[in-house]
Amino acid sequence: MSSTGVIARKELLDLRRDRLFAVLIGFLAVATLISVGVAAASFRSQLDAYNLYVQQLTASGGTTVPAAPQLFPLQLLRGGVEYLEILGALFAIVLGYGTVAKEKYRGTLQLLLSRPVGRFAIPGGKIVGLAAVWLVVVAALTITTTVAIMVIGNAPLQAIDLVRILIAAVIAWVYLVFWSSLAIGITALSPRLSTGLIVAIVVWLAFVLIIPQIGDTMDPDNQVPGGLFATLHIQKSDELKVLANFAGFDGIRNGVEVSSITKHFERLSFAFLGIKDKYNQQPLGLVWADMWGYAITLTAATFAAVTFAVGVTTRRNLQRKIS
Amino acid sequence: MNTFVVSARHEMLSTRRARTAHLLLIVFIGMVIASSVIGWVTNQTVTGVYEKVVADGLTTAPNPFTGVTPLYYARNAVIYVLLIGSLMAIVLGVQATLRDRKAATTDLVLSRPVGSATRLLGQLAGLGVVLAAVIGISFSVSWVIISVINGAPLGWADTGRVIAFGLLSWVLLSTFTLLGMLTGLRSKRETTALLVPFVIWSAIAFVLPQIGTAARPVSLLNPVPAVSSTGGYFDVVAAITGPFSVTEQFKRASSIVLQDPAVTGDATSSVLILLAFLAVMTVVVAVTPRNRMRSGLNE
Repeated sequence: MSSTGVIARKELLDLRRDRLFAVLIGFLAVATLISVGVAAASFRSQLDAYNLYVQQLTASGGTTVPAAPQLFPLQLLRGGVEYLEILGALFAIVLGYGTVAKEKYRGTLQLLLSRPVGRFAIPGGKIVGLAAVWLVVVAALTITTTVAIMVIGNAPLQAIDLVRILIAAVIAWVYLVFWSSLAIGITALSPRLSTGLIVAIVVWLAFVLIIPQIGDTMDPDNQVPGGLFATLHIQKSDELKVLANFAGFDGIRNGVEVSSITKHFERLSFAFLGIKDKYNQQPLGLVWADMWGYAITLTAATFAAVTFAVGVTTRRNLQRKIS
Repeated sequence: MNTFVVSARHEMLSTRRARTAHLLLIVFIGMVIASSVIGWVTNQTVTGVYEKVVADGLTTAPNPFTGVTPLYYARNAVIYVLLIGSLMAIVLGVQATLRDRKAATTDLVLSRPVGSATRLLGQLAGLGVVLAAVIGISFSVSWVIISVINGAPLGWADTGRVIAFGLLSWVLLSTFTLLGMLTGLRSKRETTALLVPFVIWSAIAFVLPQIGTAARPVSLLNPVPAVSSTGGYFDVVAAITGPFSVTEQFKRASSIVLQDPAVTGDATSSVLILLAFLAVMTVVVAVTPRNRMRSGLNE
């Protein structure tokens, strides 16, 4: 087996024994399951309120019954996707950091470097190992949440829904590999390990929380509870016409949002899962036609992060200072 | 000079020298200052949208922003305090206690006639001064920006509200500093010391509010409160999880103090909950045994 393969296998073995890793993934799984359960409870609550309203309307002689709320099972995954984009990215950073840090803390780095390993074997093996771990984690989360939708959400799934979930899982995997690779690179570049972790967390804070938050709060429709246009009783078509007059502002707002890789992940996932109303129940081809740009940028960013990690995780950087 | 003051001064000096912590401090100050400008630009656009809607005859509803106070522009700062400020406070807290354990200086300090509680509370006081300075700088600049946007200096009443918001922010950030200090004292590994409070923070900021209100994680980062699910399950669970959702209590109290029209009611209960958490965390950290403070790391 090549030295890259050996290091990748060692990563898998290390993480299998790591209790912190188990706790983090357990927390992510519980949070995701809770989000599915809460979303299902929220829908049932809406349905109860609707039934009560219809009952009272019928009793008072009313005949114009409004449309019943409709459950789209994949929309129960919205909270789970958001947890992955926030907590998943954080945990991916921690794993990326940990994979470099442990070699320094345990003193195994010197041993590793004393062996005839190739220039790219250490970073390559670590990235391959983490990518394999994330593949397993994403697969487990996907299976768990799919079962949760059917059992907790009591929502039947069609074959096309499973395909959509599978696409979302692949997107999540790419996104998590991006953050782990970035963390490996940042940690390798940092002379002090704690600095590497804190810098990676600041990057996470900026790109996962702050930039999307700025874009979100600049959205005119997010200025009033329940939405500005809903409060003013404006139809969707009229809303778009009005907003067309503020294209400059919306362009800046959108520019802020798309400068974060997290938004690319979110928009792709929401589109393929039909969480965004515009793409709900739309054919996959139509969604892809609108979203291929985001798929390319997410893939390119991940490729760049991997290249960065491989490029800077050199013998010289790793040995610069052991702290 | 007594132990308390020496520990406080030492902590301030150490924080001043910690360049990594400066990164977070700068991001925090910058974003709080920027929040006023973001709030103003957005408000101008939304007012324009409303005027366009009225001009097109699409609504007769009143402008939802009529009569908002100048402090409306500061509402984004609430989010940055609980987002950047809390994480900054955690990092400061972790570094404070972990620094002594890593360098084994605790052994030296505790060989002197020094009480462990006095030492820890002194460190907390030092960090409290750092937090107060950071909040003071960022909110002062924010006050100037809002005054410029408003065309006149904020009145005494509004200035008092900004100060009250600053005090609330200090209480929240001190609580998270204590959380960081606690994990810095209790963890066996540096990674765990930094990560555990982050996980607790994310559970408090995202998971707890979601369980009780069905609010989505990302929507909790918007200063405008999400429309909560109510009735049955949600009423019961929200009553249990609500008091533990410290960040939501902070958002509610701050929004009321800043006269955000989207949030109404009395801030007293939220303020009391924030103070209770601060008191509990202070006691938990202060009773840390000496042998725990002296324990080494497993890395």
